[in-house]
Amino acid sequence: MNPLTSIRQLWSAMPTGNVSPTDKAANSGISIPSAELRELNAGQATAGVLDVQPANGSFSGLLSQLVQGVDAKQQIAGQSLRDLQSGQNVSLHQTMISMEEASVSFQLMVEVRNKLLESYQELMRMQV
Amino acid sequence: MINCISSLASTTGALDAERTRLAVIAQNIANANTTRGVDGHAYRRQQVVFDTVLQHARNPNGGQESSSVPRVSRVVDDPRVGSAIYQPGHKDADAKGMVLLPNVDLYTEQADMIVASRAYEANVAVFKNGRSMAMQALSIGKR
Repeated sequence: MNPLTSIRQLWSAMPTGNVSPTDKAANSGISIPSAELRELNAGQATAGVLDVQPANGSFSGLLSQLVQGVDAKQQIAGQSLRDLQSGQNVSLHQTMISMEEASVSFQLMVEVRNKLLESYQELMRMQV
Repeated sequence: MINCISSLASTTGALDAERTRLAVIAQNIANANTTRGVDGHAYRRQQVVFDTVLQHARNPNGGQESSSVPRVSRVVDDPRVGSAIYQPGHKDADAKGMVLLPNVDLYTEQADMIVASRAYEANVAVFKNGRSMAMQALSIGKR
């Protein structure tokens, strides 16, 4: 039902000092130096999107909160759909709206991931 | 929580309210010929009364953001008296043989139904626009 829970578990399993922006980077065993990412975080480019401010201020914390927020929306949509199917007092439009909301926030997460991967690949292509 | 689509609270409230209005209209049309309601008299036409409540939510900048959310505050009886027809053999006829009909006018209900349907449609259009704006914002990052 929910593909995001597995990602979240993977996220919490990651070491905090070694920030890996995506699960792909984690699987390939490459770690990105976290200093650049901290500078990114200082810019607060994405901080406005989130309701909760990052607790420890780390970039991985920010990302895991994003994933958790998207996961929560998916759970709400799933619960709403289950309630509708089991004949609870949920209207059709509420279910559709929560599903669309989940879909849009999932798209947002995918875009963030794409951006991170792009910048990582840009770094790896850099000549030294 | 992430707030991707704007103005969700008002739109959802309006959709709920219009849905309730349609349910009340359906009840009126269904009971258009009911000469004995729950109180023993002819059915009385029901109508919805909307009001607005302030709903507070935290906006992304950390401040409070309040939106006016419509809702159905109550469902009231239409006080007008319905027409009466002469039908002496009827079970609900009075001493003079007159039967009091419900004060439901099918044409009014049809017009109300069009209004409810269009209002629902308009709110769905608002939601679709909000979603498409969010998707366009997301497409900024695409190449």
